Amino acid sequence: MNSAPSLEAQLRELVLAITATSRALLPLSGDQLLQTIVQAAASIFGAAAASIALVDESAGEMVFRVAYGQGSDSVVGMRIPLDQGIAGYVANTGQPIAVSNVQTDPRFARDTAERTGYVPRSILAMPLVAEDRVIGVMEVLDKLSAPSFGMQDMELLGLFARQAALAIHQSQHLDALNEILVQNIRALVTPETAVDLERVLGEKDAAKHDDVLEIARVFQSIAGLGERERKACLKIMQVFEEYGTTHLSAYE
Amino acid sequence: MSDLRPAWSNQFSADVLRELRAFGPLGAITRDWAWGGGTGKGVCVAVIDSGVEATHPWLGSAVKGGVIVEYDGRRKESVRIIDEPQPRDLFGHGTACAGIIHKLAPAADIYSIRVLGKDLSGRALQFAGGLRWAIENDMHVLNLSLSTSRQEYYGLFHELADQAYFKNVLLVSAVNNIPAPSYPSLYSSVVSVAAHAGQDPYTFYYNSEPPVEFGAPGIDVEVAWANGGSMFTTGNSFAAPHIAGLAALIRGKHPELTPFQIKTVLYACANNVIGAD
Repeated sequence: MNSAPSLEAQLRELVLAITATSRALLPLSGDQLLQTIVQAAASIFGAAAASIALVDESAGEMVFRVAYGQGSDSVVGMRIPLDQGIAGYVANTGQPIAVSNVQTDPRFARDTAERTGYVPRSILAMPLVAEDRVIGVMEVLDKLSAPSFGMQDMELLGLFARQAALAIHQSQHLDALNEILVQNIRALVTPETAVDLERVLGEKDAAKHDDVLEIARVFQSIAGLGERERKACLKIMQVFEEYGTTHLSAYE
Repeated sequence: MSDLRPAWSNQFSADVLRELRAFGPLGAITRDWAWGGGTGKGVCVAVIDSGVEATHPWLGSAVKGGVIVEYDGRRKESVRIIDEPQPRDLFGHGTACAGIIHKLAPAADIYSIRVLGKDLSGRALQFAGGLRWAIENDMHVLNLSLSTSRQEYYGLFHELADQAYFKNVLLVSAVNNIPAPSYPSLYSSVVSVAAHAGQDPYTFYYNSEPPVEFGAPGIDVEVAWANGGSMFTTGNSFAAPHIAGLAALIRGKHPELTPFQIKTVLYACANNVIGAD
């Protein structure tokens, strides 16, 4: 019982620290990876700028998450409605589109481009699809060597978009995992559960939480290897889960 | 750099395109027979998309009405149909498709079926609801420059594609630009279309390695857009309405033809098929 208050205090501190800094328990490299992807896309297409916006379904909007090149400072964090503009169309249909002479679309120029202070001439917009759902849109703006983007550019950007979608999807999974971990820790330190603290913080449970963290770390490193590995990992977890519910519960 | 680029859309480039033959009596089908002198009069073409800007100067008075299909998870049928006598367009994309159809078939009546909006979660069901409305409301040709890749809707869209065929409604669908399944463009009764680099609206090809069957202009084409505007754009989305426009011409001149028969006429008249003029 002596060690319990100090552990409780530690957990409280941890929760406070997480809340204060909004920092995740698990390492999040998602944004850095996305930044690298947009930067690579911009240079490979010889484009003046590139960006990734993610869908926020509950708000009916898209939020620009990363950007590179002209206008990038003002675009990150900007929100646009899902029923407007070229990115909105791509998110709605899951169809990529290339546009030149963008300024002739008055709605585009007024609502989006003017807010960033940068009005492009040509745009190539590609959906980011994960598990059959559009989770965002990747755009490259103004091909420097030509007046517009062609079909092959579109297909090549499709390959970049696949990587980006995978990275975002994984980081969203990690976010969810973080949330569960934080909730668990928070539950441990709330007054209602404090009476049970001895039991909750018993050897077995502490080990269980260590295990969860360890599983998360292993899962993250395997998932980082690629889509097939991630799927294999998921399958293994599902088999264990099934086995656990049908066989193990009888012994508890 | 260019050698690194993928080219799934290459099936219609000059070095890959195969010359085909229209055998037997099919060889006698000419463009003049198929649509010569036709205007699309009496044909109802529905554009299932982001809406259609009825007042756009490029559309004249072709737009005769439309509906908005909204997602409503509380209803058994999951969607709500709202009448829209004077259709509008959220993005400009549906107007672009309608403009191409109107250019090819100037006397065809165009109907807007708006299935896009803020709610992405119900999009496939809105799309299906729009398709069902068009089939039940006696449209003749449907332009679908959109698709779903969600496997769970494979059956639903297949059923609708079959219903359309049995009601003599022709579905013309753009294929996806990314190598992933897209419905309903993969079903055999649907005319599936990808873009080729040409600009002549009457130049189209047959692909001997389906599921993508036809290639029509869709690269750097000038299209109508929202607020009376226009722009140059690229996408398979703009190839489909070229074929939908031609199908409207054929249907107008030969109302008795079924979807598979119209597809056969299109095959016989394709630019890479010998026997056509």
